[in-house]
Amino acid sequence: MNETTAASASASATDAAEAGDAPVVVGEGVRKSYGDVVALDGVDVTVGEGEVFGLIGPNGAGKTTLVRALTGTTDAEGTIRVLGSSPSAVDPQRIGLLPQSFDPPERLTARELVDYYGGLYEDAREVEAVLDDVGMADDADAWYETLSGGQKRRTCVATAIVNDPDLLFLDEPTTGIDPAGRRSIHRLVERLAAAGTTVFLTSHAMDEVERLADRVALLRDGGVVAVGAPADLIADHGGRPRLEVEIDGSPPDDGALETASGALDGVGTAATAGEPEIGATADELEIEATADGLRVLGVRPEGIGAVVDALGEAGVEFESLTWAEPSLEDVYLRLTGEEYSPRAGGGVPDDSLDDGGDR
Amino acid sequence: MSRTSRVLTEATAAARSFLRRRTAVFFTFFFPVILVVIFGALVRTQPTGGGLFAEPAGYYIPGYLAVVVLFTPLSRVGSEIARHRDGGRFEKLATTPLTRGEWLLAHTLVNVAIIGAASLLILGLVLAVTDAALVVSPALLVLPVFVALAVALFCGLGAVLGALADSQDGVIAASNTVALPLLFLSETFVPPALLPDWFLPAVAASPLTYFARGTRAIVHEPGPWVGDLAVLAALAAGFLALGAYAVPRTD
Repeated sequence: MNETTAASASASATDAAEAGDAPVVVGEGVRKSYGDVVALDGVDVTVGEGEVFGLIGPNGAGKTTLVRALTGTTDAEGTIRVLGSSPSAVDPQRIGLLPQSFDPPERLTARELVDYYGGLYEDAREVEAVLDDVGMADDADAWYETLSGGQKRRTCVATAIVNDPDLLFLDEPTTGIDPAGRRSIHRLVERLAAAGTTVFLTSHAMDEVERLADRVALLRDGGVVAVGAPADLIADHGGRPRLEVEIDGSPPDDGALETASGALDGVGTAATAGEPEIGATADELEIEATADGLRVLGVRPEGIGAVVDALGEAGVEFESLTWAEPSLEDVYLRLTGEEYSPRAGGGVPDDSLDDGGDR
Repeated sequence: MSRTSRVLTEATAAARSFLRRRTAVFFTFFFPVILVVIFGALVRTQPTGGGLFAEPAGYYIPGYLAVVVLFTPLSRVGSEIARHRDGGRFEKLATTPLTRGEWLLAHTLVNVAIIGAASLLILGLVLAVTDAALVVSPALLVLPVFVALAVALFCGLGAVLGALADSQDGVIAASNTVALPLLFLSETFVPPALLPDWFLPAVAASPLTYFARGTRAIVHEPGPWVGDLAVLAALAAGFLALGAYAVPRTD
């Protein structure tokens, strides 16, 4: 079994041990249904102490339900241990939660909200320090309802960290936040993690998870499809570097595609003869049609020029070129079956995942 | 942080939230004032015995008070629960040390303060615009206790309605459905003599009846009120416990 994939033995204790000390979150066979709809279908998850654990997946995959199950705000089947206790018995002082859908009293100011939630705990941080952490110190006297979407979300994040938790659940913390605000939240998560706080982060922002998470679990249809370090997931499932070739005019027909493919075959031959290497091997170069032009897979940066020359010699005129490395977003798209594939007419079929050992 | 501190923290936030909703504050006080003006000053008891109301004006003081101790807690607590549920606030609070009972207690305290002030306003207005006279006696000191217990009782019932209804609209509809029959069939505005005998057990089953009887024995027709106070206290405790249990903790 691939080290980074898991359906039944998703995030093992070994993983957690690698990530930190004793696991602070353990879920085994977690199941939850709403009527006939299965939200969680036997999820196994383990999060180590001090780890930033990312949870990604499509809408409806079960991310929020899993957060609720782990925080004890919904009842679920299976074994769940949080900080050594059942979710309902864990010391609330040690837990912080930012629910996905959270709308605090709208006619309290940001300062009053942080003070209010802090006042419910035995021991709370200084309100001003918390506001400063989330970048709300200058707007703390405005009523919540008058704040922008990003300011509201940052205020909500502040209410989740006011008790200085050991384990912090952030369910889509940067939704609706502008880039500057997102960065302040990212820095906050990094500071918390550096100080030893375990962070359970769900997000649709793949760059965010890739940057922040030590390990990532991908949830689909209530089950864990893959789990591992972002770099490992990308290496195993992200695919190869690609060169997007935007062609002026109508999309290439099969004839043009064949011509371009033939040209690249020549490039591959040249590469093996000592020309600049454009792929790991000549055989790895692939070409496919997209809505705007062509996509050449397996191209290294130093091989872009050779590919361009070959396409030019084949009579392929293009408007722009975009080269990209595989990212966590590619992993997500591939493993969730949402990868855009104009030729296939949509997602990657489930059986294609078998190559990666998933599900 | 002690239980008292948590309750005060929650109550402070709830009070601030309410007092900053000017429309809600205005109508909380305006609604009973309108009733007093309409029924007490316009459709009042005539000196000759005519008019809609057959009893002396002082008889209806408990009825006017009942309007606020019944309607306001039912709708406010019910709506607050719906608002909390819709905004994911209970999900958040479930991970704090605040318990459901503490939450309800805090919101009950806020309602007691608000409705206490509204009751004082109503009492003054009734005395000012109707012929009602207040019986002044040491028992008058117990009147706030009756008000507080009735508010607590209906806060508990409001919590149950809020938990059962799936929306704020549903809460309002359910509150009105429960409150209107209670208001008029609990010895408040309609004397039991005007009701059929077979209905009197239903009057006795209404919690508001004990509020009306007890307060009337204090402000209008001096008489025993301790029994009514005891029943009201027991019912308040029961409904508060039921309401605390009903307050949502999970989804």
